[in-house]
Amino acid sequence: MTPRYAELDVTTNFTFLRGGSHPEELVATAKALGHEAIAVADANTLAGVVRAHLAAKELGIKFITGARLLLQDAPSLLAYPRDRAAYGRLSRLLTLGQRRAEKGACALSLDDVAAHVEGLIFIALPTEADFEAQLLRIKETLPAPLYLAARHSYRGDDRARIAALSDLAMRAKVPLVATGGVLYHASQRRPLQDVLTCIREKCTIAEAGFRLEANAERHLKSPAEMARLFRGYEDALARTIEIADACAFSLDELKYEYPDEPVPEGKTPQSHLEDLTWEGATWRFPDGISDTVRDIIQKELALIAELNYAPYFLTVYDIVHYARSLGILCQGRGSAANSVVCYCLAITNVNPTEIDLLFERFVSPERKEPPDIDVDFEHERREEVIQYIYARYGRDRAGLAATVISYRGRSAVREVGKALGLSEDTVAALATTIWGLSNASLPEKYVREAGLDPSDPLLARCLELAHELIGFPRHLSQHVGGFVLTRGPLSEVVPIGNAAMEDRTVIEWDKDDLDALGLLKVDVLGLGMLTCIRKAFALLKEHYGKDLTLGTVPRDDARVYDMLCKADSIGVFQVESRAQMNMLPRLRPRCFYDLVIEVAIVRPGPIQGDMVHPYLRRRAGIEPVEFPSPHPDHGPADELHQVLGKTMGVPLFQEQAMRLAMVAAKFSGPEANELRRAMATFRRRGTIGALQDKMVGRMTARGYPPDFAERCFNQIKGFGEYGFPESHAASFAHLVYVSSWLKCHYPDVFACALLNAQPMGFYAPAQIVRCARDHGVEAREADVNHSHWAAPSSLHSRMRTCSGHPIRRHVKVRSPDDPGTSPG
Amino acid sequence: MSRIVSVWLPHLAIERLNRERAAGHGATDTAVPDDRPFALVGSETRGLVLAAVNAISTRDGLLPGMGLADARAICPQLLTEPATPEHDAEALLALTRWASRYSPTLNTDGDDGLWLDITGVAHLFGGEAALLDDLAHRLERAGFTARLGLAETLGGAHAFARFANSSPSIVPDGKIADALASFPVEALRLESDVSGLLRKLGLKRISQLCDLPRASLEQRFHSKEVAQAVLLRLDQALGCRAEKRTSLLPLPDFVARLPFAEPLITHDGILAGLDHLAITLCRTLTNAGRGARRVVLWAARADGSTATIEAGLSAPSRAPFHLVRLLKDKIEDIDMGFGVDLMTLAALATEPLLPSQTSLSDAAEDARPETLIDTIANRLGAGAVRRLFPRASHVPERAQSLRNAFAGLPAWTDDAPPKPPRPPLLLTRPEPLSVLAEIPEGPPARFTWRRVSRRVVKAEGPERIAPEWWRALLSNERPRDYYRIEDEDGCRYWVFREGLYQEGADGPPCWFLHGVFP
Repeated sequence: MTPRYAELDVTTNFTFLRGGSHPEELVATAKALGHEAIAVADANTLAGVVRAHLAAKELGIKFITGARLLLQDAPSLLAYPRDRAAYGRLSRLLTLGQRRAEKGACALSLDDVAAHVEGLIFIALPTEADFEAQLLRIKETLPAPLYLAARHSYRGDDRARIAALSDLAMRAKVPLVATGGVLYHASQRRPLQDVLTCIREKCTIAEAGFRLEANAERHLKSPAEMARLFRGYEDALARTIEIADACAFSLDELKYEYPDEPVPEGKTPQSHLEDLTWEGATWRFPDGISDTVRDIIQKELALIAELNYAPYFLTVYDIVHYARSLGILCQGRGSAANSVVCYCLAITNVNPTEIDLLFERFVSPERKEPPDIDVDFEHERREEVIQYIYARYGRDRAGLAATVISYRGRSAVREVGKALGLSEDTVAALATTIWGLSNASLPEKYVREAGLDPSDPLLARCLELAHELIGFPRHLSQHVGGFVLTRGPLSEVVPIGNAAMEDRTVIEWDKDDLDALGLLKVDVLGLGMLTCIRKAFALLKEHYGKDLTLGTVPRDDARVYDMLCKADSIGVFQVESRAQMNMLPRLRPRCFYDLVIEVAIVRPGPIQGDMVHPYLRRRAGIEPVEFPSPHPDHGPADELHQVLGKTMGVPLFQEQAMRLAMVAAKFSGPEANELRRAMATFRRRGTIGALQDKMVGRMTARGYPPDFAERCFNQIKGFGEYGFPESHAASFAHLVYVSSWLKCHYPDVFACALLNAQPMGFYAPAQIVRCARDHGVEAREADVNHSHWAAPSSLHSRMRTCSGHPIRRHVKVRSPDDPGTSPG
Repeated sequence: MSRIVSVWLPHLAIERLNRERAAGHGATDTAVPDDRPFALVGSETRGLVLAAVNAISTRDGLLPGMGLADARAICPQLLTEPATPEHDAEALLALTRWASRYSPTLNTDGDDGLWLDITGVAHLFGGEAALLDDLAHRLERAGFTARLGLAETLGGAHAFARFANSSPSIVPDGKIADALASFPVEALRLESDVSGLLRKLGLKRISQLCDLPRASLEQRFHSKEVAQAVLLRLDQALGCRAEKRTSLLPLPDFVARLPFAEPLITHDGILAGLDHLAITLCRTLTNAGRGARRVVLWAARADGSTATIEAGLSAPSRAPFHLVRLLKDKIEDIDMGFGVDLMTLAALATEPLLPSQTSLSDAAEDARPETLIDTIANRLGAGAVRRLFPRASHVPERAQSLRNAFAGLPAWTDDAPPKPPRPPLLLTRPEPLSVLAEIPEGPPARFTWRRVSRRVVKAEGPERIAPEWWRALLSNERPRDYYRIEDEDGCRYWVFREGLYQEGADGPPCWFLHGVFP
């Protein structure tokens, strides 16, 4: 009979600089070795459990959520929740410890654990000295199932030690359970784990000495191996299954519940949303709501009702509404933002009916993911919005999402080189070779270019280890503005810790984790251009008597497009970079949708996927616009026309790539989702190969030319992290248009607002001033009688030139026809 | 009252470089330009920063502490070289040693100055003014711009060197308070954030500080530490509070002298004198809490010549018999000539040595390895004696290293993780065994060592020790499994199997005997 075993003591690399393997690797290895279940127990954190949970779900192995509680006054404990309520308590316990300590630390005592003990199962990890008394104290303090961990450590005296532990277990009536003390999934990871130890201890590998493990035995072992090591203690082995069976909790049980705040009493969220939408529609379409628009709104509302997303829209609306009431400019983007509903709720200012963005393309019933709306606010006043959210939902129910900061090529080489004792200049030279290749491998060619010999064994080892280290999480940072809001206490869903910034609290999961568990996130982002535009509107009102908002700037102004075609775009949102300025005269935008394409095309995705030139050639009429079609047996000849028609047969937007896979290669919804995830992470995990074969194979089978299929896939690959969805591009294009309009018609106002909104954008104040002068704006020295601090029609921009020697330049900008000034 | 000279070398780094270049060190380097902006650049946390600039750069508005990028923006033709603060520090130290021609009590002061205590020595140079002139003149000839201040306190002199209008400036005794009154608060040797705070509070001159009621200072600064620091520096400058000054040159040597009315003519007499001297010297050392690392015996002969014998110690000691033993062997070498009429025993180098528990007999002291090491080393030379030092390594044969016995005391504190006992002696080269054992990880059941077959009755293990992969880059070492085993005769061995029974292992595992337990 094959022995049954479940590994319960697993440390992933989310115990930073200790664990030597990704959660996914550990889960996959446990599955391959035939474990019944696997638990993850990272030190005082639940940060890695979502990833492990997802991997386990995919592979079909039972996953147990857990945490290793490092206590200040007792030996460490492994804790596993048995049900949802116990998970909530564990999460609350970790929140308590983390909120008490500095960022990244956790301060817990045994008494704290005792206060959250219900429903948890504990395993005590033996320490060297005086353990019996400690164990009895733990047993006394915690009224919960308690086990005693025994690990075969290959230390020489293992049998004697395990026997002693077994005796102790009998005496103390704490059952013995076999554990592996796993730090990495395979013994080959020992060198990397040693390097991590060196990074943690800030020493070189030669100095590390006894801080390193003596052998490579802290890997996952097969049940048969464990049975051999624990021969005579079969019940200790069986208890792993007992614990695994007792822990029925799965992260899938974390049911998300929307906060009720935005819904007035006596109304359902859906009815409230509908009321607001129709109210907004009459305001948006003052000339009457056309039938098509009415149809679309009804369709959208029906879809929202079906998916029960109304509270989400209301939450976003609530935040946006608050910002508006304070006069803070904001604009939504993201997949769900492209709805007419959002347009009516004033979350966005792009009329989706004008550019034919289809809502259900992005919020589809198949994709069971929460909708995604990011809202940009003026960067100077975003904090007000954030504090409003904290005030409205309370700190126990609102938290910022985390961002997992991972090792990238350069930092990995630097750290590994330092740990291996390479000299500083070698490390620096090695690090420079990977400039720009953030996550790619380190090709020998570049190493040679840096004057180093890639065949040198130490160097080769360093590169190899650095390559392994790439993608390892290094620390958690706060997401720029992703808020998670819940109805019940957030700390029972996920542990909350302190951020480095004062008055900020951060949860332990990043946006992918939240997406995967279906938790709501609202992105509250800061955008410098909105600050600039708000200031420009204020100046316009004061000096020209014009009262404009984002939605009322005159549209389709030919002069604005003329200006952009000349690449006269210094200071204009998005299209001011050199690459964009280079593209403008070639693309020659003439309408709003051209701007959408302009924004989307100069991105690493389309550029790496080599889509720019085909698009330009087709647009200029040099190359015919053609759509390869499948074999007539397999589908309509114009199936690609529907996907790529708007962009002349070239995929430019992220979702077009997805549609391409779904239409041309007949990927199912989940498959396309997998493709999307793989694209986002293929540099980290390299799983995209299989998908490539799948997609190219299926397209060829359906009668597409193989080279076309291959090209399509490469184009898709480029989108991984660096493509824009059409909806994002549309929202940005709107800001491009508004800022261009301001620059075109009121260059003085624009330059002044831009300078007052510094620091932002691509150009230095001097360049902005020079550009304004070129447009006939007079820039004057500061005048003590007329200049004000960031006040209308004058500006003071502080320029820090030399540290400690600030030079203040006061420039006064007025257009020559400003009636308020006399020349002189 | 003391008289302290403070010397400030505002352009030390650049002048030092100039001087070295002019003297032909590093012939490939070009001389430091004096006709174009030039700066030395150091790297700080905030990036590259100007560490020192030449005169012409100062005129262009470049200042030390400015970021390099900013400096380049102001003055694109700026030439730079990396700053070498460690060389500057060496140069300053050398300069300070040289200045001991004026006074034996002196030391460096910060990284760009030094001080000399010239109390009672000025008359040797023709008065204070003449001394300062001479010092300034010599520094100038050496290529250093120096500003000198002389006052009754170090703080005062420091302030005058840096902030007085003229150099050298001399503050007569007792006039320090008046003289300092008009100086800015920066002259008080405060941290820059503290002086910045003072300025913010409107306290710009030292006189303003003096006028404040002391008790209110603490409240004004909202910080006890800041107030204390300000008061300390102020008091030190004014001489109201003493300032501890540590001189660069060592304390007076530990010396014991023994003159004889009648010259000694036998070595036995010398030996008897040595015993006496050693006891005296060791008493001095005990009182000072120090131990000798190097001792010398001078025997002055009646004809005016001197015989010298010296000995070094691997660890500080002040045991009279130890010193005697080291020198005793060499006494035979002394040529007595017309007889020795003065013996002097001196400790040339000493180190702090805490008092230790003495034993009732001298035997314990005698048994220390240091005593043996010193005896051997003084016969064979210090380089000939090596000693085992611990090394943090899991691999048994690498867990200690041989180093020069004079490299310090080995710290055999055990910070290693707990592990089963190791044999006290390891074989230099593990000896191969033929073994009968259970696969994969069983201990030997029988083994043959040196052609004798033995049956194992007790065994413990395995203790798995993996090779140190970072050292094994070129060799192909394999992990070892160590076992403690006992044979029928009760002999205990430490054996290991190199290599594991598993897939992908290169070659079959081999067994070795690595050590024997007593």
